Amino acid sequence: MSARARAIMAALSAAFLATAACSGGKGGSSHAASVTQPVKGGPIEAGVIPAKGTPSYNFLRDLANGLEKDYPGTKMTLTFANTEARPGLEQRWRSGKGPDLDYGMFDGTNPNLQDWANDDFLVDLTPYLKQQNPQTGKPWLDSFSPTAQPFMKNKDGKYYAVPTEASLTVLFYNAKIFKDHDIKPPATWDELLTAVDQLKAAGVDPIAVTGLFEPYMGMWSDYLFLRSVGYAKTRAALSDCTGKLDDPGFADGLTKLQQLRDKGAFLKGFQGTDFTAAQASFFQGKAGMILMGSWLVSEMKKSIPPDFQLGAIGFPSLPGGHGDQTALMGGEQLVSLNAKSDVIPLAIEWLKRLTSKQTQTARAKEIGEVSAVNDVGAPPEMPGMDKVMKSASTMVPRYYGIPDSKTKDAVYPEIAKLFFGKSDAQQTLNNLKSNLSRVCGN
Amino acid sequence: MFRRSQRRIVIPFLLPALILTGLFFLYPLVRAGIISFEHFSRTGRTSFTGGEQYRKLVDDPSYTRALKNTFLLTFIGACMLFPPAVAVAWALHQKLYGESFFRFVVFAPAVLSTAVVALMWKFIYHPTIGLIDPALRSAGLGALARTWLGDPTTALPAIAFTVVWQGIGIWVVLLSAGFERLPVEVLEAGRVDGAGEWALFRRIMLPMLRDLMRILLVLWVVQSMQSFAFVQIMTRGGPFGSTDVVSTLMYRTAFDQADFGYAAAMGVTLLFVMLALTVIVNKVLKRDVIQY
Repeated sequence: MSARARAIMAALSAAFLATAACSGGKGGSSHAASVTQPVKGGPIEAGVIPAKGTPSYNFLRDLANGLEKDYPGTKMTLTFANTEARPGLEQRWRSGKGPDLDYGMFDGTNPNLQDWANDDFLVDLTPYLKQQNPQTGKPWLDSFSPTAQPFMKNKDGKYYAVPTEASLTVLFYNAKIFKDHDIKPPATWDELLTAVDQLKAAGVDPIAVTGLFEPYMGMWSDYLFLRSVGYAKTRAALSDCTGKLDDPGFADGLTKLQQLRDKGAFLKGFQGTDFTAAQASFFQGKAGMILMGSWLVSEMKKSIPPDFQLGAIGFPSLPGGHGDQTALMGGEQLVSLNAKSDVIPLAIEWLKRLTSKQTQTARAKEIGEVSAVNDVGAPPEMPGMDKVMKSASTMVPRYYGIPDSKTKDAVYPEIAKLFFGKSDAQQTLNNLKSNLSRVCGN
Repeated sequence: MFRRSQRRIVIPFLLPALILTGLFFLYPLVRAGIISFEHFSRTGRTSFTGGEQYRKLVDDPSYTRALKNTFLLTFIGACMLFPPAVAVAWALHQKLYGESFFRFVVFAPAVLSTAVVALMWKFIYHPTIGLIDPALRSAGLGALARTWLGDPTTALPAIAFTVVWQGIGIWVVLLSAGFERLPVEVLEAGRVDGAGEWALFRRIMLPMLRDLMRILLVLWVVQSMQSFAFVQIMTRGGPFGSTDVVSTLMYRTAFDQADFGYAAAMGVTLLFVMLALTVIVNKVLKRDVIQY
């Protein structure tokens, strides 16, 4: 073999070895930092949920400016990390170049979102969370509401994320329209049907809903199943593939949904309306109610008329239902720390500042975010939210984890068909059974 | 000696193209093939699964439906595209007054970005705040109003129309070039023999454009079977999967569920389907070359 051929072979072997080394494997070397390590300035990249230019983003930018000022040498980059940006960001994580802090990397209530923690991509936050806060004398962990803590904790008992805001799925209503037409905010299903009739009589579409985003239609069936069947059974059947749709409460929930549809309760033309337009219709007074996450207010802040009177209530109860009548569905916006970060103490400092009672109270007041931190009141722009939170028996994860499960395409498209009038309650149940049986293999 | 020196000259000229083809076509193709035999975890860990992903594809109704929708989009789009494109190209061939203005109008949408066009048409199709339905209602044609993107029977044609609206300019330009190339003597001879413009178009022009039409049809098949952006932006595959095409299903499988192996199997299968379809279209439409 000539010298040139040997050189080529050596280069090729090196290239293949490098390729093999890069593929597969775990997240690898964690820069385990001591909890007592001093905070030093440096370049840091944090994922954020709001888009650039929004009041919510500007709030975070101000907080980042504070960090840069307090720790010389710090240069904080805020990267958009919401749904549309996830594929790109996850690719960065896979290639070992994820941001120092990021959302959507872990959820203790969703087995499909625990891989990053199990494969050592994330910093175990337990020692930091158990460290005493010198100001309060209590561990950092204790500052988070007990309902938020299951979202933060992995099966192995370690914590891999902290919540920077909570999002509760509630029924928002136009308080002015309700007041003007003497309509009572519905606490039970029958009252909801009455409210629908009264709104229709007043010439207002009762419920704003999008037909172009199936999980948002699914919010209705999710809540109905929660009330008529209960969380554990529904989750087992719809997402975890460990249960079946045998409980009569499933048929009952779907029948209730059909009832709403047959009454013409949904926004005119909802089938072709995307979620921003549906939300806008609600704030323009074209619809009386909308079932949505509490992000609605911060997301639509710029489009809400100044004289708009918002009301929020929990999803109506189903008297006689066998599920949880006062449970609230929701989720936490959880941020995790990259195990390969070079600035772990600085990242922890950012998290502590972001989840401090002071910051969270300001965010609730100025931006309208609901907090997962104890003793932070509900946003004043959401009258009724305090009552909803107090009267809730528990908070359970919204969507039952369906969007991240293999049942994703088996459940919500059938619910959409029911909304659209393409199937009735019984057909929907049969289709769900057959789809789930195929996907779950049971 | 001469051949050797000739080779030395040719290689540097070919090299850039070979490198680009290898890097951006052959390598991804081979890599996708390899990936399709592996299972991926969300974090990128892989395990060899053999032909499991392909076996799964056969029993997957979502893939079958997406494949059917892909064919439908291609077919409906072709029906919407070629007749008007040929008509407009023919009209522009007739030396109209203000021809360059018409050319500009027809071609203008092609320079807009796909995202802009998709969002614009999403608004135009909106049942209450859009343009079509309110216009129909105010013209007393409310019965024709539809929830275009929200109805499974109209959503796919509505997307196909948008794709055609944006792209028709390119096809008109290509067809115009074909019309320009037609030999004037043959057309004149036809006219002398008493053929009207319609007969001239149907019996002389179209047969002479057959080869070009075949190539354009193949191009359309290849392009439309890879449609992604319009579907993703306008409906995300809904309502209930009625507009889901292979590329959108592939994207969701790879990036929402991080199942890159299964998505690669879908892509490889689509590649073979496209190759087969291209060969069939070529075979069916191939005729003896008309020399002119």
